[in-house]
Amino acid sequence: MSLAEPAALPVAVSAPPRLNLMTRFTTRFKASLPAYLLLLPSLVFLALFTYGAMGRVLIDALYQRATPRAPLRFVGLDNISAVLADPAFTGAVINNLIYAIGTAIPSIGLALLFALALARTNAVTSALRAALFLPVLIPMVAASALFLFIFLPNVGLLDYYIGRFLPVLPNWLGDPDIALYAIMIITIWKNAGYYMLFFLAGLQAVPEDVMEAAHLDGAGPYQRLRYIILPELKPTFLFVIVIATLNAVTQVDHVFVLTQGGPSNATNLVLFYIYQQAVEHFDIGRASAATLLTLAALMALTALSFRTMANRESGP
Amino acid sequence: MLFSRRLMLGLAMAGAFAFPALAGEGPTEIDLFFPVPVDGKLARDMGTLIKEFNEGHPDIKATAVYTGSYDDTLIKTRASIKAGKPPAAVIMSANFLLDMQIENELTNLDSLIAADGSTKDQFLGQFFPALQGNAVINRSVYGVPFHNSTPLLYINADKAKEAGLDPNKPPQTWAELTDWAKKLTKREGDKVTQWGIAIPCAYDYCGWMMETLTMTNGGRYYNEEFGGEVYYDTPSMLGALTWWNDLVSKYKVHPPGATPGPAVSTSFISGNAAMMMLSTGSLTYVRENAKFNYKVAFIPRNVRNAVPIGGASLIIPAGVEADKQKAAWTLIKWMTSPEKSAWWSRATGYFAPNMAAYKTPDMVDFLNKNPDAKTAVEQLDVAKPWFATYKTVPVRKNLEDEVMLVLNGKKQPKEALVAAQKAAEETLKPYNAETSLKLP
Repeated sequence: MSLAEPAALPVAVSAPPRLNLMTRFTTRFKASLPAYLLLLPSLVFLALFTYGAMGRVLIDALYQRATPRAPLRFVGLDNISAVLADPAFTGAVINNLIYAIGTAIPSIGLALLFALALARTNAVTSALRAALFLPVLIPMVAASALFLFIFLPNVGLLDYYIGRFLPVLPNWLGDPDIALYAIMIITIWKNAGYYMLFFLAGLQAVPEDVMEAAHLDGAGPYQRLRYIILPELKPTFLFVIVIATLNAVTQVDHVFVLTQGGPSNATNLVLFYIYQQAVEHFDIGRASAATLLTLAALMALTALSFRTMANRESGP
Repeated sequence: MLFSRRLMLGLAMAGAFAFPALAGEGPTEIDLFFPVPVDGKLARDMGTLIKEFNEGHPDIKATAVYTGSYDDTLIKTRASIKAGKPPAAVIMSANFLLDMQIENELTNLDSLIAADGSTKDQFLGQFFPALQGNAVINRSVYGVPFHNSTPLLYINADKAKEAGLDPNKPPQTWAELTDWAKKLTKREGDKVTQWGIAIPCAYDYCGWMMETLTMTNGGRYYNEEFGGEVYYDTPSMLGALTWWNDLVSKYKVHPPGATPGPAVSTSFISGNAAMMMLSTGSLTYVRENAKFNYKVAFIPRNVRNAVPIGGASLIIPAGVEADKQKAAWTLIKWMTSPEKSAWWSRATGYFAPNMAAYKTPDMVDFLNKNPDAKTAVEQLDVAKPWFATYKTVPVRKNLEDEVMLVLNGKKQPKEALVAAQKAAEETLKPYNAETSLKLP
């Protein structure tokens, strides 16, 4: 997105103030022309695949086709209000919130823990890092297919081991109370290693001299963590939280493979709801309306977090 | 010189008209979308089948494209129709044909049948009568039955004997089945180590099993003549769901929660479930993997013996060009011929829809060796069409979501069915407004 913001480019030549507005504009434009030309290819692709698609969604959300044989009809905001009134959508939003919070916090916590434990590079930690990073390399669909067998009731890997301790074995993916959490486990397992990388990078950036000073002042490991490392990692945290939130909305491969949003919509997430509207119900209007709502929420969230980050950078 | 050149040119042009294949166009390339809805190595078998077809038909080059489950295949077919590049033929879940016809997504096959000099009745006469409900819409042929199924009761014969039951006299009524399931369930304290029976309930399978139970309880799932009505909130379906729920929560002989088909068959193969209700499409998989003696039997009845048809038909999507249509029609006729459908039936466990398939020597031989393959065919006498409505998948899910809640002990059957009926009527509303409620 940053590529497409020519406004943010520094203007090379600042014209003398007595030139009139038109000339000023032309001079400025001429000066920045090469920059615009360089940006053009990206702009074309963004227009085609991002802004164009968003515009199309905006238009589609305003139309509705009642039955297959009926023509498209302009319905204004009806689609949006229909989506907001749909209990399945509200359910998907709530599921998605639980899912986002329930996967972001544990996976970020684990990632930080791993990063702290494996910050120093030697043969053992490299091997462990590789092992923890491995789930990231497995495609989500493949990972889900593996977990399909792990979660298999009674005969699956999980039940084989847990089965000795529990009186009644849970039907991991078939019980609406558990299914969402089962899916969250996969996400945490898969993402923790990925976020660990960011924290490892963040830890490298913690200034050596500050740490040394803390050592000399007799700060214990907890104090060093609390007063030096965590504050230094704040930008990393913000970044990882944004990524985790976006992941929670954009990754639904495991829902496709494992549960198809079931049982009884218990694992239905917003993106999967959109997919259902578009391809199962064949209702492009509603699908577009739900997409718009999601986009709006995501953009607000991203803008908010970037502002927080910017504040932090320019702050004292 | 001039003469011979003209002759050459003439010959070339004649050739171009007569054999487009020789005019540098090569064979007509067509795609066949196929799903794998049940266990087993269907994808490899499909490769074998298509290779044989291509070898026998040099002017056509068919490619088999694997498209996932039945539901996925519908979605992918629709996407490719929208994109303007539909595959020439699709093995489509038989109950989606009505929905697709309503959406104008199917090629009417009547003219292709007429072009062969055959009548509709002659053409359809090859297939078991029970299959026609899902192939003929408004007296026009839209699908050709390819592999079909009925649900079956699979019994672990060894475990039955162990429990003092005679596997040669399988349960015929719900009462007997309940009794068997109780005797076949093993417990250690509260913990169940062996389930008496397992019935799959995952999207797609769940609706089919509900139709099965409702039919054996004397009822219907939907209006067979019109795509705008379902009968969820009826005594016959209430009885069916109540019995299923009783197996889970009252007798505790059926694992709780929603279980997909592969989990049920794995459970059965591993001896964790002593009986299961599953499609005959899984029969070959069971035959090849069960390390014990098993029996297959009719689905037990409460009121009457009845089963829904399952499986898939071959269709030509709307918008396929004429030459590809022709090639697809050749492929479809070849695949549904007695020999090929018999071969496919032996490979998969589905029954062959073409009645003549059972007269081929290979099939007679096979049935003598594997009498379990006969059960599904025998059940055809009591088979009825698979549910098919406007927007089949959402309407089916309206019921399945509620059934899953019941099997998880979250809802009582009656309130679940009332909710399912209400949701389905909401989904069907636009179609009814356009058809049955649009009064002159």
